[in-house]
Amino acid sequence: MKFKKSLLLLLSFVLLLGILAACSGGKKTSDEPKDGKKGTEQKAEGPQMGGTLTGAMDTAPSGQFNPIFYEEAYEANIIDFIYEGLVGQDENLEFIPSLAKKWTFNDDQSEVTFELQENAKWHDGEPFTADDVVFTYKMLASPGYIEAGGIRTYIAENLLGYDEYSTGASQEFQGVVKVDDHTVTFKFKEPNVKALGDAAFPIIPEHIFGSMDIADMPSAPESREAGKVIGTGPFKFTEMVQGEQYVLAKNADYWQGEPYLDQVVWKVVDQAVILGLLENGEIDFVADPNGFAAADYETVAAMPNIEIVEQPDFGYQIMGFMMNHGPIMDKSKWKENPKVKDPKVRQAIAYAIDREALMEGLFYGKGSVINSPIATQFDAYDDKNPPQYKHDPDQAKKLLDEAGYVDKDGDGFREDPQGNKWVLNLNYPLGNKDRERSAPIIQEFLQEVGIQVELVQPKEAAVYFEDLDVNSDGWDLFLIGWSLASDDPDPGGIWRSDVPYNYPRWNNEAADAKLVEANKPPEAFDKAYRNEKLSEWQVMFGEDLPAVILYAKNKLWAYNKRLQGVEVLPYRFHNNPHKWYVTE
Amino acid sequence: MYQYIIRRVLVFIPMLFVLTILCFGLIKAAPGDPFSSRLDPKINPEVYEKQREALGLNDPIHIQYLNWVKGAIRGDFGESMIFKGRAVSDLIGERLENTLYLGLMTLFITVVVSIPIGIYSARHPYTPLDYGATAFGFFGLATPNFFFGLVAIYIFSITLGWLPAQGTVTRPGMEGFELFIDKIRHLILPSLTLGLAGTATYMRYMRSEVLDVLGSDYIRTARAKGMTERSVLYKHTLRNALIPIITLLGFEVGTLLAGAVITEGVFQFPGLGRLFLQSIGNRDYPTIMAINLMLGFLVLLGNLLADIFYSIVDPRIRYD
Repeated sequence: MKFKKSLLLLLSFVLLLGILAACSGGKKTSDEPKDGKKGTEQKAEGPQMGGTLTGAMDTAPSGQFNPIFYEEAYEANIIDFIYEGLVGQDENLEFIPSLAKKWTFNDDQSEVTFELQENAKWHDGEPFTADDVVFTYKMLASPGYIEAGGIRTYIAENLLGYDEYSTGASQEFQGVVKVDDHTVTFKFKEPNVKALGDAAFPIIPEHIFGSMDIADMPSAPESREAGKVIGTGPFKFTEMVQGEQYVLAKNADYWQGEPYLDQVVWKVVDQAVILGLLENGEIDFVADPNGFAAADYETVAAMPNIEIVEQPDFGYQIMGFMMNHGPIMDKSKWKENPKVKDPKVRQAIAYAIDREALMEGLFYGKGSVINSPIATQFDAYDDKNPPQYKHDPDQAKKLLDEAGYVDKDGDGFREDPQGNKWVLNLNYPLGNKDRERSAPIIQEFLQEVGIQVELVQPKEAAVYFEDLDVNSDGWDLFLIGWSLASDDPDPGGIWRSDVPYNYPRWNNEAADAKLVEANKPPEAFDKAYRNEKLSEWQVMFGEDLPAVILYAKNKLWAYNKRLQGVEVLPYRFHNNPHKWYVTE
Repeated sequence: MYQYIIRRVLVFIPMLFVLTILCFGLIKAAPGDPFSSRLDPKINPEVYEKQREALGLNDPIHIQYLNWVKGAIRGDFGESMIFKGRAVSDLIGERLENTLYLGLMTLFITVVVSIPIGIYSARHPYTPLDYGATAFGFFGLATPNFFFGLVAIYIFSITLGWLPAQGTVTRPGMEGFELFIDKIRHLILPSLTLGLAGTATYMRYMRSEVLDVLGSDYIRTARAKGMTERSVLYKHTLRNALIPIITLLGFEVGTLLAGAVITEGVFQFPGLGRLFLQSIGNRDYPTIMAINLMLGFLVLLGNLLADIFYSIVDPRIRYD
């Protein structure tokens, strides 16, 4: 221990000398503090103006930079610097002011009135007003929006008068109303628990798009070209080389203060090369959507100039049970899948899979085992009450025996209670390497407890997901992953029996009712109440088990230590980039 | 000769027509469509259904094909279904430029390196240099593109810092001579990588062809009548040896344009190959069709050019 300390001291002196030699050239060193501890750190001098920061993403954005039309995370990386919404989210996922200073709900929570920032301006100098807010939401609700290629109708669907306006029956949109230049009211069809989430959508400028036909909007230069895209955010989109580089220059008139950095440049860099460029300083950060690979963790950790950010992802991978077969949206035609209908069988399968080992093998344990389909970042996630399904092959075998699935013909595999052969087929798509590799591992885990699993030839994504939707009558087990939104924990969009993404065709009336309760105003506005209902739902999910949640991977981001002022959010690396600065 | 060329070009038209029918049929027969792999629990599939309807994906297949042909004849290849708001012609044009530079540079490297080495090897067979060239040939053929590319990036970009690792330019807004030099610098590593296997192949072909021709009777005759070794080589041997190489190069046109998928990936070089692959994965029908049509045309053109070159290198070949 003593040796270590002195070694550390020695090391810091060597480093100190090195730094001095490098920085000050031939300057005298006598007035430097003799204390070894301070020597290793360069003194923080506070934010400095200037500098260019380079970020890397591994795939080129497809080139649509209009928030109401873009679809990909790669485009979002750029849009996030340019545009802003009325509200943002903080590190606890609570909503915080952005373009809106504050907001007030009415008594029955069906209306929310926002007071807007008065000094916010568009990049071209026009003032930001309530008209822009009204315009943005009107566009999302307008007839022809979907036909023009838009998909975000869900943002506007809960607003009053959406149906009349979107079908063209009414020329007036009652959902978002301007009170005065800096006050705007959102009116919902009914009290809305997710009102602030809906109000977080990036605002687009009316003075640019107002005169445009919505069908022409996606192809307009103002939606696609550097120098033409106009937002209110801290950076302006000034130059690009399509498919390679995207240059964001600081917006000196930014309403929250002039950004320190001159430029943020996004470069498209192949995954295999990112780390080398990160190490030699050509790239300063890599973050969403793919970060860097878990296999490279040690390599990156060993780079002296790089800081790693590791935090849970919003999303999970599951192995679903085909509880019923038939058309997803027509419950009356569902036929129960006898091979996995017994809850004990599903539970046994959950016990049989060693998910910790799976994660360790696939990505060095950089993830977590979760037991209900809600992102762990939300306090609605319940890590105690739902069954935890710790790896327990004996328990699995016991459950299978109880359910009557025993090996009668001595071939090492169990037969069903009637004595028929019992083979579960496992379907999975190509594309996600971890997922592809997990299929044979799962097969092995299940074989250990005597379940025969057949791997179905994997298909490419476009084919697989279509089959999963309409052509999965022979399927028993399937792999799929979901990315979740950060604005609300409600799992209903995937797990209610009447939604189009309920691929297991899970039909549990009590669970459905619980989700309705969890979102029903006025009680649901009480967070504790809502979390309690969601917790009860999570228990039901865990007991009935329409799917085994295999893992939730961690995000692995990295950035150069010369970048200061980083305050990452659970769902985003670039938060408040106007506060970023670099030390040289 | 000109008549022959015109006749050949006219034959292109029905061939391309058949090609488009085949492509359209095949790609439509593949399951899935541009929306089938887009899953987002927040987005109701009805939204995608409406977009299918708006894009005409629900129409009968022959109507879809006819609509496509109608546009294509007028030079309108439609809008991409994936790259929202972008015309296919625009999308391809931008990539085509990069790909052409890469293709030309690769071809240049391939020809300039492989043919002289091939000739040298053939004239001095079983010498150390010939063995060296043979070894290089096997190395070139056996090394996967991505691996060579990564090693080259590691050595020349990351370690030595001589050449840029990714993309086609250093920064936007460069002009004139500076831009030209910058583009060349960005082309060196990818074209070396892409040209490696080609160079090896052509070198081996060239060697065996030249050896073959050198052993033939008419060369002996040429030598016997006292021609200099130089004119035996350039007048008689080379011309005859080049014929198979030209055939290969004719086919190479298509490969160079769309076959560089892996190299483009390693160098993040925005070329046609990756666009093609991506559009197939996403079932971006208008883009797939336009690229197919273009590649088909270029392969036909490449072969026509090869035929014309035959007659130049070998005066015995005549088209009437």
